Amino acid sequence: MLGKGGKRKFDEHEDGLEGKVVSPTDGPSKVSYTLQRQTIFNISLMKLYNHRPLTEPSLQKTVLINNMLRRIQEELKQEGSLRPMFVAASQPADPLSDNFREAQPAFSHLASPPLLPADLVSTMPLESCLTPASLLEDDTFCTSPAVQHDGPTVKPPPPALQPVKDSFSSALDEIEELCPAPTSAEAVAAESAADDSKAQPSESNIHKPEGLPESRTAESKLMDSLPGNFEITASTGFLTDLTLDDILFADIDTSMYDFDPCTSATGAASKMAPVSADELLKTLAPYSSQPVTPNQPFKMDLTELDHIMEVLVGS
Amino acid sequence: FLGAGGGNDIQWCFSQVKGAVDDDVAEADIISTVEFNHSGELLATGDKGGRVVIFQQEQENKTQSHSRGEYNVYSTFQSHEPEFDYLKSLEIEEKINKIRWLPQKNAAQFLLSTNDKTIKLWKISERDKRPEGYNLKEEDGRYRDPTTVTTLRVPVFRPMDLMVEASPRRIFANAHTYHINSISINSDYETYLSADDLRINLWHLEITDRSFNIVDIKPANMEELTEVITAAEFHPNSCSTFVYSSSKGTIRLCDMRASALCDRHSKLFEEPEDPSNRSFFSEIISSISDVKFSHSGRYMMTRDYLSVKIWDLNMENRPVETYQVHEYLRSKLCSLYENDCIFDKFECCWNGSDRQVEFFSLCTSDLSTIVMTGSYNNFFRMFDRNTKRDITLEASRENNKPRTVLKPRKVCASGKRKKDEISVDSLDFNKKILHTAWHPKENIIAVATTNNLYIFQDKMN
Repeated sequence: MLGKGGKRKFDEHEDGLEGKVVSPTDGPSKVSYTLQRQTIFNISLMKLYNHRPLTEPSLQKTVLINNMLRRIQEELKQEGSLRPMFVAASQPADPLSDNFREAQPAFSHLASPPLLPADLVSTMPLESCLTPASLLEDDTFCTSPAVQHDGPTVKPPPPALQPVKDSFSSALDEIEELCPAPTSAEAVAAESAADDSKAQPSESNIHKPEGLPESRTAESKLMDSLPGNFEITASTGFLTDLTLDDILFADIDTSMYDFDPCTSATGAASKMAPVSADELLKTLAPYSSQPVTPNQPFKMDLTELDHIMEVLVGS
Repeated sequence: FLGAGGGNDIQWCFSQVKGAVDDDVAEADIISTVEFNHSGELLATGDKGGRVVIFQQEQENKTQSHSRGEYNVYSTFQSHEPEFDYLKSLEIEEKINKIRWLPQKNAAQFLLSTNDKTIKLWKISERDKRPEGYNLKEEDGRYRDPTTVTTLRVPVFRPMDLMVEASPRRIFANAHTYHINSISINSDYETYLSADDLRINLWHLEITDRSFNIVDIKPANMEELTEVITAAEFHPNSCSTFVYSSSKGTIRLCDMRASALCDRHSKLFEEPEDPSNRSFFSEIISSISDVKFSHSGRYMMTRDYLSVKIWDLNMENRPVETYQVHEYLRSKLCSLYENDCIFDKFECCWNGSDRQVEFFSLCTSDLSTIVMTGSYNNFFRMFDRNTKRDITLEASRENNKPRTVLKPRKVCASGKRKKDEISVDSLDFNKKILHTAWHPKENIIAVATTNNLYIFQDKMN
């Protein structure tokens, strides 16, 4: 059909839909319009999720697919009772799972106007002089300071928190898995700030699915997962120019891992490690279903954790 | 000659084909850009493997009046190598996105070639003599035994086999966070612009450690990003004017004299959407994949997925002409979206400006009268602005009889397929012609299929 590799059954399905000019107002073709919209929606999602190239995906393609998804979502929102999703309600009750990346609302700007004050816009000099291109990447995400906690409404969390480097984000995930408590004095304080903001949206949206009409269940499920997974692609596609300063969070709490010169002088560098590990274990205890012994079972994980912390702290 | 006033239509004949005959295409051999130099004597191609191959036209043989000189390989060099971005854990492709020639100033030739991140200025020079007869060295370079040296001699230049050397003279790096899609040399021949998805930078050809940002459409919050830059070009005559196109089908004309950062356009070219053609894919197919000024600079041409549009720079609200490249694909957009073909970036080009026709430019509005662009199934299309006639031709090895006029092709959109017509469903969407180039002075065209370069000439009588 359409060249090598064209999916025959899909083409047959589509040719029937594509022949006519479909609009949402036509009576008999309303169903086919909805069907086509759903199909395009599915295809768009697949394109964003399944694509895992070695090279950076085309920003233009990502933007066009995102726009397609947003448009469909807008339409659905206007048509039905679908409320804008902020966090996948289908996710487990624990909002602090390793999907912390996915909780960033991708469509928050559709639901509410941008909440970032105008004076936090990037520091780009305007008319006065030519901007050397080398300075372009110095504008950090100063538009996204610490997350605001006023009120139950969800503000868009700082994009700077979204991990850009894959290996780094997986390191963060490991840390989070080990120490998910937002209140503990853990290394990634910024992460806990995001967790706080996440906790609110997930609670407020738990009742969402029940309100949806039957016919929309399938679409709504997709919509549920949309913002979350959307963000991964968006972050890998869009947030490609953070400087190192953005990634190495300025406000990491390193108190636990600072080596006191006195103790290290006495050769207690190795002694420090077990101490910090013990502290970790104490925080781990409430979250672990098994009794925690400060020895063998965790040794390998803790070594890994130490290594990760070294990377973070840059020591 | 060229259709300045109608007259003779050009009859295209096959001339040459370059590249492997193999059906199995090596990824690195995929041609990614084609460009004639200012005289037309040199034809450069870039490929996905980061190589540049330059062909040179043979000097016209007076006895062989039936054909113009053939193009033969002149120089091949590795322009870009693959790199790894450690920060993002992603590869940086070595694929050559664009090549632009500088006008020739001395014996050497210069071109700019770019991949996604780095632009390089290459010098291509000929060496056809070498010094011989050194006093202290043998011909092979070894030093002579000093005791055997009894006389003084001075080296002299003697002819040697022609050697063409390519050397990188400038490397313009680290100025683009996103993927470079265009480079364009200014008419001052001192500066050039490079455009990526969100920014356009201005460079001086002599200075590599600094470039100036002249357009920045990156939003403060990346989540608000809905539009990217797709192409940019300097005006051919006005060195402070340039245009850039977007994924939403708009073209902005900017004047660098207005402000340092050209975020406010001087003109915005946009055609209102045709409500009868509205579909889910309206935005995607409106995304402009190429923009080219006409020779005079009075017009510009844009290519979107289904059409080519000619704009008069004095009229912003709609194009003056629109040519449908493959309208029969409109009903297939969903499938083309699914298989990603809808994101294919077709380029377009104007005919050359025949010197002999320049006289007629007084009568016609522009020397730029014919538009050429590619399609699928190895088809390419030409539109004559004056006669309003168009033609579809095919680049295939089956038509490789020199001096035989190419047979026009026709795609049958629906209904009964006539003899020699091809139905839409039989089109091969893997055989796409994205890159074409027209000799600046003569009726010679270069058409790139996936991994072959075809050269066609008009039939000389």
